[in-house]
Amino acid sequence: MQQKKMAAPCRRMASRSLLQFLSSFSRTAVGNTATRPFSSTSVCRAALQTKDATDRATSSWTLMAAVCLQRLPVITADYSPIEERFQQLLHQMEQEKSLLSDHEIKLLEDAERMSRKQADDYDSDEEDDHGDQDIVLAQDLEDSWEQKLKSFQPAPRVRADVDKELTSPERCLANSLLLLAEQEVGGQKLWLLPQTQWQQGETLRQTAERALASLPAAGFKATFLGNAPCGVYKYKLPKAARTESSVGIKVFFFKAVLSDGGPPAAPNPSLLWLKKSELQRYLKPAYMMKVEPFILEL
Amino acid sequence: MNPVFRRLQVSVTQQALNQALTLCRATPSIRHPVCASVNERQYRSMPTHGIGKWRHFLPREAPKKKKDKHQMKKIMAPTDTAYGTLNVKVSGHDMTVVEHYSQYIHNFCNRLGIKVSECYALPTKSMEVLLMQEQGTKMYVDATLKTHERVVQLSALNAAMCPVFMDVLLKNQPEGVQLSVMEHTEADFQARFKARPEMEGLMAQMKY
Repeated sequence: MQQKKMAAPCRRMASRSLLQFLSSFSRTAVGNTATRPFSSTSVCRAALQTKDATDRATSSWTLMAAVCLQRLPVITADYSPIEERFQQLLHQMEQEKSLLSDHEIKLLEDAERMSRKQADDYDSDEEDDHGDQDIVLAQDLEDSWEQKLKSFQPAPRVRADVDKELTSPERCLANSLLLLAEQEVGGQKLWLLPQTQWQQGETLRQTAERALASLPAAGFKATFLGNAPCGVYKYKLPKAARTESSVGIKVFFFKAVLSDGGPPAAPNPSLLWLKKSELQRYLKPAYMMKVEPFILEL
Repeated sequence: MNPVFRRLQVSVTQQALNQALTLCRATPSIRHPVCASVNERQYRSMPTHGIGKWRHFLPREAPKKKKDKHQMKKIMAPTDTAYGTLNVKVSGHDMTVVEHYSQYIHNFCNRLGIKVSECYALPTKSMEVLLMQEQGTKMYVDATLKTHERVVQLSALNAAMCPVFMDVLLKNQPEGVQLSVMEHTEADFQARFKARPEMEGLMAQMKY
């Protein structure tokens, strides 16, 4: 039995100093509706240190890294009936307790001045020095704003036809979606998070980045949320496939967030964007049990 | 007759009360907590006088000088398992939303055990939107947009905690609010202060 369970790259990752990252996330959806405008630069604090080959323990587990790529929600979710009622109540209360704004005071003053002008005994010299206030009344401003609002057409919030296409990253704008790829593992085609094998001389996070880049029809620009994995799944190979060097496989998951920038890729049937509730149909139960805890559905 | 009797009675009862009180006071060792009122001060000859004092236990602090007030807190360097001092900046046009979101982040850090070293606001920036008039060449003021910024400074964010933390923050980000996570630098700290042109002029004169 192996005594040192922890594999070398994990140890090496701990000893290497971390990459600092600068990232700015903003919620204004301009252009591509599916993703948020994103800018991130990673700054390497120190040069990568290479460890000697002698203190690497030989483990019998093959290591792989997988990427948990998420598309964050673009619009807010709809309110439930109670939330709707509460929101209306709060709005009404706030309106009743609020004071008049400058614009509203101006409206009242203008209306009052108009009524005074209409009166028979109106003397314009008695008026205070509001010379050019008659040119643009507050009411006219409000009317022009109303016109502008009417000519504005917002995009539809829910598009039923796009929602049904599982391969499009623009479906279900109110939920966060997860990328699932169909990959061949041990001769079988399975649906799982995109993964690839670890190679000597790279960190597990770089392996995960490579897994993302090696997807067919990729062009996904993603920002990884950290250097530490968020989950692990290990399984032993069936007795027939076991060799001396690999008893089983350990998969480490890294979280990433889809960022804007790439042109919308052509829909690829081997890549799916799924909500957390739809994952059950595609993932194996044991795998799902390990993956479910770190996927947040907020 | 009656008032005389009453005065006698009163004096008698007072004497009796005094005697009773002195009797009570003669046994000071066990003091019933119910009898002693909260506001009653201990008598100086009592052995328990000054029993509640605690300030003499604290170490002596040097008196604070006015000049030391604007020292910067030390910027933590990143280690192998934790990030250094990070600035989580929340900015947007709607002040209530921005403030509520920054409060949410602060409470979230408290709950997760991430140490928040500072939480401050940067000055509001006003932006005037000028539109061209339809008939004419003059630009007129259409609206003033104010950008509010709040910063939550974290001192030690664990590397394992980071993806979880960022994920929750991103999923709960409200609309119209920009989130940015950056390292804290000395330049960020100095940017919070106003420039003092007369002071700088005087210093330059002194150096001459």
